[in-house]
Amino acid sequence: LVERTSSRQTINLMQLVYGKSTSRPTTSINEHDSSADDESDGDDFFKPKGEVNKKHGGGIEGGNWNIEDCSKFTNYSNLKDWKEEKLRESIRDRFVTGDWSKASQRNQ
Amino acid sequence: MGKISYKKLKGSQNLRQRLVLALLSSTPVHIEDIHAEETWPGLRPHEVSFIRLLEKVCDDCSVEINDTGTKLKFKPGIVMGGRNLVHECALNRAIGYYLEPLIVLGLFAKKPLNITLKGITNDSKDPSVDTFRSTTLPMLKHFGVPSEGLDLEILSRGSAPQGGGEVLLSVPVVQSLTAVTWTDEGMVKRIRGITFSTRVAVQFENTMVYAARGIFNPFLPDVHIFTDHRQGAQAGKSPGYGISLVAETTSGCCISTDTAVSYSRQEETAELEDEEKKELMSPEDVGVQMATVLLGEIEQGGVVDSTHQGLLFLLCALCPQDVSKVRVGKLSPYGIETLRNIKDFLGVTFVIKPDPSTGTVILKCVGSGFRNLSRRIS
Repeated sequence: LVERTSSRQTINLMQLVYGKSTSRPTTSINEHDSSADDESDGDDFFKPKGEVNKKHGGGIEGGNWNIEDCSKFTNYSNLKDWKEEKLRESIRDRFVTGDWSKASQRNQ
Repeated sequence: MGKISYKKLKGSQNLRQRLVLALLSSTPVHIEDIHAEETWPGLRPHEVSFIRLLEKVCDDCSVEINDTGTKLKFKPGIVMGGRNLVHECALNRAIGYYLEPLIVLGLFAKKPLNITLKGITNDSKDPSVDTFRSTTLPMLKHFGVPSEGLDLEILSRGSAPQGGGEVLLSVPVVQSLTAVTWTDEGMVKRIRGITFSTRVAVQFENTMVYAARGIFNPFLPDVHIFTDHRQGAQAGKSPGYGISLVAETTSGCCISTDTAVSYSRQEETAELEDEEKKELMSPEDVGVQMATVLLGEIEQGGVVDSTHQGLLFLLCALCPQDVSKVRVGKLSPYGIETLRNIKDFLGVTFVIKPDPSTGTVILKCVGSGFRNLSRRIS
């Protein structure tokens, strides 16, 4: 099951970035296509979806082409309060003061 | 002269990247509908300024803009580079806007690039010059760019809206980049940072440093944030303050965030309200907020922060025909646009695979085999 979900996600990402036509999934995965769309609402990579749809949907609005050219992306939307002990523990192992063995697993 | 076939594009989005890719891949482009629907149609001052900058560093470019500025025809020439160039940047974007494309072009120029840029050094929209020094330039070294001749010197600082800052950028030329396998994020070993203030009391900086340190200290003792207080002519023309933070990891990755606070520009009324809200932000809040954002980036993982994803993908695509493999956190909107542009101009498609165990994304690509053809062979 894990394998299946991960393969589904792969398609989603490729589709989201390059549009449907380029990454037409292979036949075996094709049947998951409809369910994959629901799935994408749940994962974190949904942001550009609207843009993609517009892009190959044909009905492109003028405003969409003129979004500001800006590489800096600061995520103000989900600022967390890192003073909370629980939250702090969740990223503890990303620092040298944390558990080194867990961190090395991450980069296998 | 034969008829040139132009690549047709629409809108002003990613103008910088499109023109850079057009130059590198020698593709003439024709962009239509640039801010066509807006009250003030046509190219914005910063976009015009950027095109002028391109003409400065390149030879044999031809640019045609129609009367209203909504159509742009661009025929690329040769990237020349050169010494002692000076460019006055338009004041509605910071110098970071011009630096990002310039460092990529500089690498593939005929002669080493050495240019003075004047304008706003720090603002909230573009990466600040401090982030360039701490994060962007070290990132180039991963791709085999020599560190000699790669430098950004901050001669004076300038905040929005009046600017008055000045930086000196030097970029060496390379024959080609080297492909990377860069998936090890490592662990954060230290946090560095720099605060700046222009035409305000130095106390603003100390408050920002204190607030940011308070967030980091439970994680790591090795936190050092420098202050850079400018006075007199070096402080530009407007008051402002800001902070740039960078987390360095054991594997040599740099993850950065930055912002600056200053009075808003008086032109776009729609944004005015938004800017005014930020203007009220106290230095203490700025410090806390940026520290929080940086921890968010660290949590997200990846070898670069969201801001640098675009540059990372672009450099991967410009590598020789070897496989590059990189790990990033969540794809940023700009990163996604970059991937699309790369496919359009260079024909490089990335294989994008999520890594569910860590919540990161792994991208693989085969470089386009790009070489610097204009460099003189000595």
